[in-house]
Amino acid sequence: MAESAPAARPPHRLARRRDASAEPPTDRRREGQTEELGRRAVELSRFYAGKIETVPKVPVRSLHDFSIWYTPGVAEVSRAIHRDPELAFELTGRWNTVAIVTDGSRVLGLGDIGPLAALPVMEGKALLFKFLGGVDAVPVPISVKSPDEFLATAEALAPAFGGINLEDIASPKCFGILEELSHRLEIPVWHDDQLGTAAATVAGLLNALRATERSVREVRTVLLGAGAANLATARLLLALGQDPSRLSLVDHTGILHAERDDVDELSVRHPWKYRLALQTNGGGRTGGLAQALDGADVLVAASTPVPGTVRPEHVRAMAPRPIVFALANPEPEIWPDAARAAGAAVVATGRSDFPNQVNNSLVFPAVFRGVLDARARGMPDEIVLAAARELARGAERKGVTAQHILPTMEEAEVFPHVAAAVADAAVALGIARHRRTHDEFLTRARQLMARPSHLVRALAQARLTRPMPRGRPRRSTA
Amino acid sequence: MSAAPGAPSTGEASAPPVHVRPARDADVPSIVPLLLRLKRLNEEFDPLLKVRDDAEPRAGEVVRAQLADPKAVVLVAEGSGADREKVVGFVRASLRERPFYTPQVEGTIVDIYLLPLYRRRGGGEYLLREVTSALKAKGAGVVTAEFPAQNEIAVRFYAKRGFRPVTSIHARTL
Repeated sequence: MAESAPAARPPHRLARRRDASAEPPTDRRREGQTEELGRRAVELSRFYAGKIETVPKVPVRSLHDFSIWYTPGVAEVSRAIHRDPELAFELTGRWNTVAIVTDGSRVLGLGDIGPLAALPVMEGKALLFKFLGGVDAVPVPISVKSPDEFLATAEALAPAFGGINLEDIASPKCFGILEELSHRLEIPVWHDDQLGTAAATVAGLLNALRATERSVREVRTVLLGAGAANLATARLLLALGQDPSRLSLVDHTGILHAERDDVDELSVRHPWKYRLALQTNGGGRTGGLAQALDGADVLVAASTPVPGTVRPEHVRAMAPRPIVFALANPEPEIWPDAARAAGAAVVATGRSDFPNQVNNSLVFPAVFRGVLDARARGMPDEIVLAAARELARGAERKGVTAQHILPTMEEAEVFPHVAAAVADAAVALGIARHRRTHDEFLTRARQLMARPSHLVRALAQARLTRPMPRGRPRRSTA
Repeated sequence: MSAAPGAPSTGEASAPPVHVRPARDADVPSIVPLLLRLKRLNEEFDPLLKVRDDAEPRAGEVVRAQLADPKAVVLVAEGSGADREKVVGFVRASLRERPFYTPQVEGTIVDIYLLPLYRRRGGGEYLLREVTSALKAKGAGVVTAEFPAQNEIAVRFYAKRGFRPVTSIHARTL
């Protein structure tokens, strides 16, 4: 589930919101739209020659000013940081700069296309970081072979950054890389495909449980797909009190349990999945998806998209008024109308053209805003949960219903609150270098998160960014 | 030639979750799947440990033969509670003469396996202790263990219990 575009008119909106009775757009039509968007993206990428650039934030009145911004004046700034490394957060842009690091081993749905081909995606991510979070993010695709090489490279990059966002790394190596890098560095490390998706999912689930008057402690939950997102979701749910003996993870070989044939292999190849196999022991069940879903309250499907993976009879076999999250993109494991017709009380997808979009973009800009403002030394799960809880609370402004368990990207007033909750959590955990009150964090987040849209508008008004060409743009070099 | 005793005990060895007893012929159908799990795990460590297609019938024959062999020890671990009658682990060892070294008799643990849920709770340690006593009772003056060189979990398990590398077996395909 990739984040969708957040701008006023996200491309997904080209497929207008459908009412529940409408048929899903035909595959051909949807393919046509995707093709058109892809064609536009290539044309416009050429027209603008990339998506981001570096812009000075200091006045340059004359060339003399460079003796302040650069040598000889800057030497004193370097000396100060050499004496006290923490001053790098005061005297440079480190406080607000994040690296988007990828090896390109699992890019969107494209697979292992390598770091160079991943660059446009990382540029897009950097744009989202800036526009939504006010965060200066730098795309850093790296050519590395092994996880050890990845770790050494990312570690070597850390001095320039206040945080690291790992992106599009294949599972299961993404788990070890996130764990080990978090351990080695004194800045927050985030893997959006794990934590961003899991936090948005958990936020949605908290409200879905409220909307159906359930408690996380008593529900029987099924996670379909055991990749980056669902393994992180499982961990967060367990931290929230989900009973492991009522939690079943299901992958392509069925329910994951302690005596499954491949469990010893997992202990060597995939210790994260192995641990969950032991901890949940299949939620007391063996077999496949049907066995797992029998009587279950909650399904979170975040699988390799194979449409029709979840069938109406699966949903009918769940407990009354079940909660169904079908998060595969672009085609959910079951269409919302089909899930509702089969009795689902709350349905969420990864798509913006249905209610209840589980979207990473609801999470990562605000999380980074928060940890950067607190200058946090790490990113423990408590911070991820604080973000999820605050996001869930944010949906209350418009009222939590089965059709509104998560804020939409348009409910932007929620995001500074998520950032402040994250910063508060860092302070409470004792990992904040910068301790401020909630109101101070909130005010700062509001300012920093609002600034980029002013900037973008001002640049456009000054014709410093060129207007978006209609139709086929002319070739350009600038 | 293998061992996957699971991870180190957490110090709860006083109340292991398993009961260990000598294996009987009737246990063979329960031991075979566990033995195959162990061999398939070993496959993860080296292509020269690839499990054969006929491994299952062979495993039954090998275990049955050892049950009749006075120079072999086969023990099973049974679970507790609802798993009281269930074989959840086993250990297989044999006595070997050392014609040139002293001590003269070596007891070699060739397989030790516990189902994952029974690991990390002192069960592996208990199995090891029991098989060691049985080998000693049969005259062994030294106990050794064979397992894939790359199995670091096994290396740590044995190292924690006083084992050290003595001989190495190196291989190349012909």
